[in-house]
Amino acid sequence: MIFSQMFDMLDVGIVILDSDLKVYKWNRWMATHSKLSPEKIVGKSLFDFFPDLNTPWFLRNCKSVFTFGNFAFFSQKLHKYCFPFKAYNTLGSDFEHMQQSCTVGPLRDENSRINYIYLTVQDVTEVAAYEHKLITMNTRDGLTGIFNRRYLEAKLKEEVDRHIRYNRPLSLIMLDIDHFKKINDTHGHQAGDFILKNLATTIDERIRAVDIVARYGGEEFCCLLPETTSESALALAEFLRMGIEAEIYHFKDKSIKITISQGVSDLSDGVDSAEALLKLADDGLYESKRLGRNKVSMITNKTKNP
Amino acid sequence: MNQEASINFSEDEKDILQEIMNIAFGNATADLAEVVDIYVMLSVPNIQVIGIGELPFYLKDTIKDDGESSIVEQKFWGSFKGSGLLVFPSGSGKDLLAFLDDRADYHHEGTAAATLEKGGLLEIGNILIGACVGKVSELLSTFVTYSPPQVLQGKSSDYNYLIEHFDPMQTAIVMKTIFTFKEKDINGFLLILTNHESIDWLRKALHEFMGSYE
Repeated sequence: MIFSQMFDMLDVGIVILDSDLKVYKWNRWMATHSKLSPEKIVGKSLFDFFPDLNTPWFLRNCKSVFTFGNFAFFSQKLHKYCFPFKAYNTLGSDFEHMQQSCTVGPLRDENSRINYIYLTVQDVTEVAAYEHKLITMNTRDGLTGIFNRRYLEAKLKEEVDRHIRYNRPLSLIMLDIDHFKKINDTHGHQAGDFILKNLATTIDERIRAVDIVARYGGEEFCCLLPETTSESALALAEFLRMGIEAEIYHFKDKSIKITISQGVSDLSDGVDSAEALLKLADDGLYESKRLGRNKVSMITNKTKNP
Repeated sequence: MNQEASINFSEDEKDILQEIMNIAFGNATADLAEVVDIYVMLSVPNIQVIGIGELPFYLKDTIKDDGESSIVEQKFWGSFKGSGLLVFPSGSGKDLLAFLDDRADYHHEGTAAATLEKGGLLEIGNILIGACVGKVSELLSTFVTYSPPQVLQGKSSDYNYLIEHFDPMQTAIVMKTIFTFKEKDINGFLLILTNHESIDWLRKALHEFMGSYE
């Protein structure tokens, strides 16, 4: 009596399946979230109601539990969920479906034969949402929403390694807003923040999905361009320069125009590390500033040591 | 518990355990092929009784890790208690995924390749460890409960994690087998570590197993 109450009282989904994967028991938690009463589903194949579960991985794991008496674990990280239930009770998360961690294990009769298996379903949406939030906080810049410096540096290392292995081209643009201090001094810091946010968006809209734009410092940004030669990177930089020069940013009743200075670098002879790539882009950026700003420059090891 | 007695796990007892493992792994191999289409060969197991204190060195020597091995670890408990450890050589993660060539079934986009690879390792590890431990348990007339498997990196801090629930004064029985996936150039090895507490039980179970043949 008490044991059977537990089956329905626990805040966990519990299903018992027979060897044909027909539902033998379906607890109240499952009934509530699936809106399928036990009367409706008991005796029927689980796949009649959840056809998406009829997959090689699900079958393989269930068979393995019947055969070896081991457990099968369907983690949220890999599967997100086994049963497409609506997510709710999750403040501020945008999961459409309840994120689930599911376990399958054996149930034996008095002769130790496994005729049934159980499946438990745990709602881990909240944990998944926190994890998602932590990842975002760790990789994104809080103000602009684009990637942060930490993420850029990690990606840069990966891309440089790829270049070393496969010798694929890789370029970098470093850019900086001209006279940004003046914007802050003239229009206030809120306007400055507004410009940073909008510039980030402007750049993000003009680069490819595989490119990475990150906020590198205060008003300094970096674009990491995989599979891109310096010629293409210079062309993109020029495209960005013209686009931003033409843009008028409206903050409250003010119209603000900005320009950017850029430095371009690529992995080529003698440049084979992330540090060298960043350094040359930075050198290019300062060359652009020196030439009067609103410019694109590229410094190579050859220009430096002809 | 009598520690002295446990350490003196006799040669006869080792032989019985060896025999049980031969049968168990034979059954496991056959069922893996028949039931889940995993074609694997398991070598004749090697059994050693080692002090827990030596276990990290044993693992380091055995695994010969270059920092890139993939290790799946899974704890199990019951009368028979310990850990299963499956060591894949470096770079086999992607090949392993070919076994489970239904990754497209993971019906969710945006799952990183590394996560899929880890998921594949966990799934194969869970099934192989479960099959071997399960078959040994079956012959010893017991059953065990498993914790979720996890992927470890071959760092020494991880070995320490592995043995932290063992008392260094105690003894472990290590059962090692080399596995090879048929028609794939992948091999690695499986260790089943039994912890001290279950050694007395294991000895009794071994004698009962022999008793049923006498």
